[in-house]
Amino acid sequence: MPPKVLLIDDDADFRAAVKSLLTSQGYEVLEACSGREGLRMVVEHNPDVILLDIMMESTVEGYGVTHSLKYGEEYAEFRHIPIFMISSIEESPDERFPMAAEVDLIRPERYLTKPLDIPVFLRLLEKALGLGATKAQ
Amino acid sequence: MSEPFAPETVVVIDDDYAMRLSCGKILTKMGLRAETFEDGARGLEGVSASKPDMVIVDLKMPGISGMEVISRVHEIDPKIVIVVITGYATIDTAVQAMKCGAYDFLPKPFSPDELRLIVNRALERRRLTLESQRHEIERTMLKRRFVTFVSHQLRTPLVAIHQYLDVMKRLDPAADTPARRQEWIDRCLTRIEELQNLIADWLTLAQVEGGGLFRERVKVDLNQVIPDILKTYQQTAEADQIALEARLPDQPLLVWGDRGCLNVLFDNLITNALKYNKPGGSVTVTGTESQGEAVVAVADTGIGIPEKYRPFLFDEFFRVKSEGAKQTAGTGLGLHISKRIVSEMGGSIQVESEVGAGSTFQVRMPLWREPDGAKGS
Repeated sequence: MPPKVLLIDDDADFRAAVKSLLTSQGYEVLEACSGREGLRMVVEHNPDVILLDIMMESTVEGYGVTHSLKYGEEYAEFRHIPIFMISSIEESPDERFPMAAEVDLIRPERYLTKPLDIPVFLRLLEKALGLGATKAQ
Repeated sequence: MSEPFAPETVVVIDDDYAMRLSCGKILTKMGLRAETFEDGARGLEGVSASKPDMVIVDLKMPGISGMEVISRVHEIDPKIVIVVITGYATIDTAVQAMKCGAYDFLPKPFSPDELRLIVNRALERRRLTLESQRHEIERTMLKRRFVTFVSHQLRTPLVAIHQYLDVMKRLDPAADTPARRQEWIDRCLTRIEELQNLIADWLTLAQVEGGGLFRERVKVDLNQVIPDILKTYQQTAEADQIALEARLPDQPLLVWGDRGCLNVLFDNLITNALKYNKPGGSVTVTGTESQGEAVVAVADTGIGIPEKYRPFLFDEFFRVKSEGAKQTAGTGLGLHISKRIVSEMGGSIQVESEVGAGSTFQVRMPLWREPDGAKGS
């Protein structure tokens, strides 16, 4: 079974490009256009990794998702899923978003800036999934 | 910290055991979290501890009275919505409770349907309050982080274009198709256009704010300006199967203004009316005189604007988002610029809308008057 990647981003074009890239690498890609829809899909599809945009309808929507995943009872079994937070702005999360300081799911190597540096992104993804040097397929 | 997507909590305070039990059951079935308490003191402790969204309280209880519970709950959090249960359904008691801050009342005995109806209505009210507060906070934050926000707005289309091109470059040709390639190129062009519009609007806004757009204030006939703009959109409208028409008075409709600004203003309104429309729909521009003002209404039969978004419609960069809908190119600046122009001319702009039926933007501005003494008699 190919690894499942859940892509939560409100920009349909960004999703389309990343989806094609990941599909060509042998991943299965699920898409959500809001934090709410993303959380629903986490429960429904139990993805192996989550790519999460920070600024969607609200400027901190991505953090709402990580917060729910960390503290929400109903998401307890999904807490281990690695999350990559993505944004077109280089964030200093502690200063910009007080909520981010609480979200220790976020680790520096899991912050990615848009546009994605494709080779770096693919390598990090494989690492997060424990795939090592072998390709997803 | 509150859970952003958690179910809403309702606290029920009633000394009647059967009432607590049945309310609790009905609320839980509605997907809400229900907590029940047998008297005011315990109820208030519960409210402090769980910060509920809503409180349902019996007015007639031993110990702390229902009326006092209302004001003490609002001391804890004024945004908690309260509904009172009253055994003796006199108008007076209900009015008194509402004066104390209750949102509505339920006369005993009531049916489960009545409870569900009132709970849904009260929670909807609470959601609206919270939503507008959230927008308010965002607006403040937005002002503070303005530069960050603008750069995000400018980067978003650039990121999409960059990502498309980079993926296209690296994609195995065997995994690619000409049709998709073409689609992506089209999307890139659309996003480039979005970027260009953003920059153009941004410049217009800077000019309006610097007062530079108002080069001269002269007599302008809206009876000429509006048909001229409509002419430039006739073809687009026909292509989208939208009937575009003007209903203007026979005599000139004269205002004090800058022709360039008036063009920008009506251009924005008419573009929106066409953009957020549906095939088979219409856009009607009506011009009239009323109480010393020129009144121009741009009415469409489009998708409409949900009520919760209307207070923020004229804010810079505010855009109505509809989940799942195809992204419509837009900068979020058009209506903000329009409002600035109208205010500069001493007028006002208002919107009426019904979701699914359409929106009407109404602009009022002072009519042009012959300067004093120029007319002689």
